[in-house]
Amino acid sequence: MGGSVIGSDTVVRGNVRGSGPLEILGRVEGDVTVEGDVLLGDGAAVRGNVSGAQLTVSGAVQGDLHGSEAVLVQNGARVVGEIVAPRIGIADGGLVRGNVRTEGEPQLAPVARRPAFGARPFGSSFGAARAVAPAPRVTEHRPIEPRAVEARPSEPKSRPEGDPAAKSSPEPPPPVVPALPKGAKGKKKNRS
Amino acid sequence: MAGTVIGEGLTIEGEVTSEEEVVVHGTVRGTLKSSDVVSVGPGAVVEADVDAASLSVAGNVTGNVNAGERVDLQAGGRLIGDVKASRLTIADGASFKGNVDMDV
Repeated sequence: MGGSVIGSDTVVRGNVRGSGPLEILGRVEGDVTVEGDVLLGDGAAVRGNVSGAQLTVSGAVQGDLHGSEAVLVQNGARVVGEIVAPRIGIADGGLVRGNVRTEGEPQLAPVARRPAFGARPFGSSFGAARAVAPAPRVTEHRPIEPRAVEARPSEPKSRPEGDPAAKSSPEPPPPVVPALPKGAKGKKKNRS
Repeated sequence: MAGTVIGEGLTIEGEVTSEEEVVVHGTVRGTLKSSDVVSVGPGAVVEADVDAASLSVAGNVTGNVNAGERVDLQAGGRLIGDVKASRLTIADGASFKGNVDMDV
């Protein structure tokens, strides 16, 4: 017990809050704040901010989506607003306009998650796209590129062209910018 | 399966308008309208005016009730408010305070 459904022929004007899971198939004009998972089904329309653990969106939302675990934007969904969650998935065919941020601590084992909403396999269309946006902290583990700490303190960074020392140096020559013939710039501009 | 279920632990503050069955196990404050059946389960709290085809109350309702068909106040249910309906039943063990208008 405890699961809630706002049916497809139901309109809520006001705020919805409490513990989930919550399935919205109808219209909500107001903020939705629950502790559990939220499913915005096909044909759902929400004008307001939605926050929950895992948000799965197949309908239309005009407002911000905040997921403490994940936000999954499915095929056919339309989102106008900010999306913030540790895991964000946008499936092929999902439309998003707004700021998107992967932020916060992601769940360590997303595979072992309890199935959202009983045995219904919504979100199965996600497949590999589920983990498209890992948290940005992954970059911390990447080894530092060695050429970034090149030890050449004595040599000046830029040397005049034609310097004989430059040719003997093992460093690759500076990139040569070809001098364009007169009028070439104008031609290019006309084409585009 | 009912069209709309407001589960235990969920609170809606505002206006709920529906054209399907509404089952309340949680809390609704504001107004609750349905052209179908509204059921208020045991433990539910409805602090709202209710407009429905029929209403069944096993929980707490505070507000005026207007039902096109019938209102059933079940044992353990509690209703404070005026009732306008063509049929009203009050079970033994239910609490009720308010006026009744049965279009006589």
